[in-house]
Amino acid sequence: MAGNARFDFIHFMHYVHLPENQKEFRSLWVDFPNKYFDPEKGHSLYQRYLSELVLADTLGFDAIVVNEHHNTAYSLMPAPNLIAASLIPQVRNAKICVWGTPPNLEYPNRLAEEYAMLDVLSQGRLEVAFPLGTGMEYWSNPINPSTARARYRESIDIILQAWTQDGPTTYYGDFYTYRYLNPWPRPMQKPHPPCYIVGTGSPETIDIAAQLGFGYASVFVTKQRARELNEKLRRTAAEHGHHIRPEQLPLQVITYVAETEQKARDEGIDHIRFFFEDALRTTPTFLAPPGYLSVEQLKMRAALADKLHGAFNFDNVNESFFVAVGTADQVVEKLEQWGEQMGTNHFVMLAAPGNMPNWKVVKNLNLIAQDVIPRVRVGAPYERRVAAE
Amino acid sequence: MPAQPIPAQFKRETHTVNGVKTVVLTAGKGEPLVFLHGAGIWHGLNFTLPWTEKFRVIVPFHPGFAESGDDPAMNDMHDYVMHYLDLFDALGIAKTRLVGFSLGGWMAAKFAAEQGHRVERLVLVAPAGLRGKERPKGDVLSLPPEQIPSLLVSNFDVIKPYLPENPKDLDFMGERYREGGTLARLLWEHPYDTKLPRYLHRLTMPTLLAWGEDDKLLPMQTAELWRRHLPKAEFKTFKGAGHLVLDENREAVDAVARFLS
Repeated sequence: MAGNARFDFIHFMHYVHLPENQKEFRSLWVDFPNKYFDPEKGHSLYQRYLSELVLADTLGFDAIVVNEHHNTAYSLMPAPNLIAASLIPQVRNAKICVWGTPPNLEYPNRLAEEYAMLDVLSQGRLEVAFPLGTGMEYWSNPINPSTARARYRESIDIILQAWTQDGPTTYYGDFYTYRYLNPWPRPMQKPHPPCYIVGTGSPETIDIAAQLGFGYASVFVTKQRARELNEKLRRTAAEHGHHIRPEQLPLQVITYVAETEQKARDEGIDHIRFFFEDALRTTPTFLAPPGYLSVEQLKMRAALADKLHGAFNFDNVNESFFVAVGTADQVVEKLEQWGEQMGTNHFVMLAAPGNMPNWKVVKNLNLIAQDVIPRVRVGAPYERRVAAE
Repeated sequence: MPAQPIPAQFKRETHTVNGVKTVVLTAGKGEPLVFLHGAGIWHGLNFTLPWTEKFRVIVPFHPGFAESGDDPAMNDMHDYVMHYLDLFDALGIAKTRLVGFSLGGWMAAKFAAEQGHRVERLVLVAPAGLRGKERPKGDVLSLPPEQIPSLLVSNFDVIKPYLPENPKDLDFMGERYREGGTLARLLWEHPYDTKLPRYLHRLTMPTLLAWGEDDKLLPMQTAELWRRHLPKAEFKTFKGAGHLVLDENREAVDAVARFLS
């Protein structure tokens, strides 16, 4: 791999203690009864998951990544900034990535404030992403899905204005009026923390990233589609005068490393199955609230939905998505190949997939840190290289 | 192939109303009768045919539904009132008999409250728009699309011919999704109008309220809410009919015709 590679560890913090009859529920999102949440078990999971994120920092990962979902056993992070804040004192070197709060689900000035707080608290180690939010978030929050994209766009404008223009400023928009946009504190990084758009490849989100020169992380799209999206972003961004650097195209890889390929499969696949079959299980209606997608996108996604949310087949998943389950040699080879194809050197390791127990996550992180990262990452770690620039 | 929902008697005209493509169907001769359809008209218009014997029946497709165009800026029921003011001006309709069903009933009630002098007689058929105490079953946005048809009728055979054989028919699914988006713009935040009760006293024209006794979407309790706000309105209920009372019960169609004559 040419240049320096960057390795992030992303944690979804699933609530894994599901009831015996969980398969009878059509969705673990939106309407999955919250009586199944046990706060004692939740406490233990938070302790455990935070320790895994801290371990990744200790082992030399470049960044740790958290994100936001609502009304779901998929995630214990409806408020990821709380997780980020609690990690900052323990995570000493890695960047803190909140990828992130859908900016249209929160008052934009408040989100600008919270992110600025995290950036100052972490001494400039924050990175943020602006997801539109899955369809499921719109069933769980009082925001109209039919204006989601317009509100999203306006919210990003307000946040950038709050960060980059000396206040007080004013903003008179379609959704928000600010007579005094003047948030304290302001971010440490100038002009603002690195920003990404996270999306599933709708043309609108790609265009926003291209206009603003943001990074773009496509999630839950096939390998082929992800490659097309990266190419499209580079091309469209160039039209707007932005050069997209490889590290702006984070590539999310479901990873499990073990001593042999068979052992990796034996130890890993069941948890990847849980991720696809259970954690992601939801309904077409929840995925696409009215007005959230164009009619064309709805039709296009009807096919992919079966692949993503239907019956699990590891070979299909392995073929369609970025999945690296095997020996360190095999994982290194895949990452180098995908990095080349996708034009990126930024790998987001989904290294705690599904209901994987702590010992496997610890083993996985250790093997990735010892046997994968040093071989893909040429020269100094990403963190130090950036600091030296 | 689903049955052809629009009877051959209807003539089709396309108007551009304040920039929005608006398709208007017309059949029959006589005084005008405007029918404002519900949140989808895939179940057809055959029930309107008896009215065409006495009236010039005018059925505009609402913006964002069926053959009319989309306008994302129309995100309030008042926008539809203004749309129909423009359309009636374009059609030269100074005053009309107005029949509204479900979403169209809400629209008709709001139109009549604001523009009473243009409404000769008003018929509200299972209108949406008021907030009941019970969890609103009428919140169609929260229902999976495949569950909606069976909630509309008492006798499923009435609408079966209009549904595609394959429940995953992409075109049908896409059309309903588009209309769902129109509905979301109108009523995602509130699937009812909190201000409407305040102004219903303005419905001073002769008014008929019609309801199917087996309505599963807007059950009969909702009718009681309307009656409380419209004490002078005539109230008729129909047996063996669900929400699509006009499609299911010919007596309801005839009662509307008699009331409007």
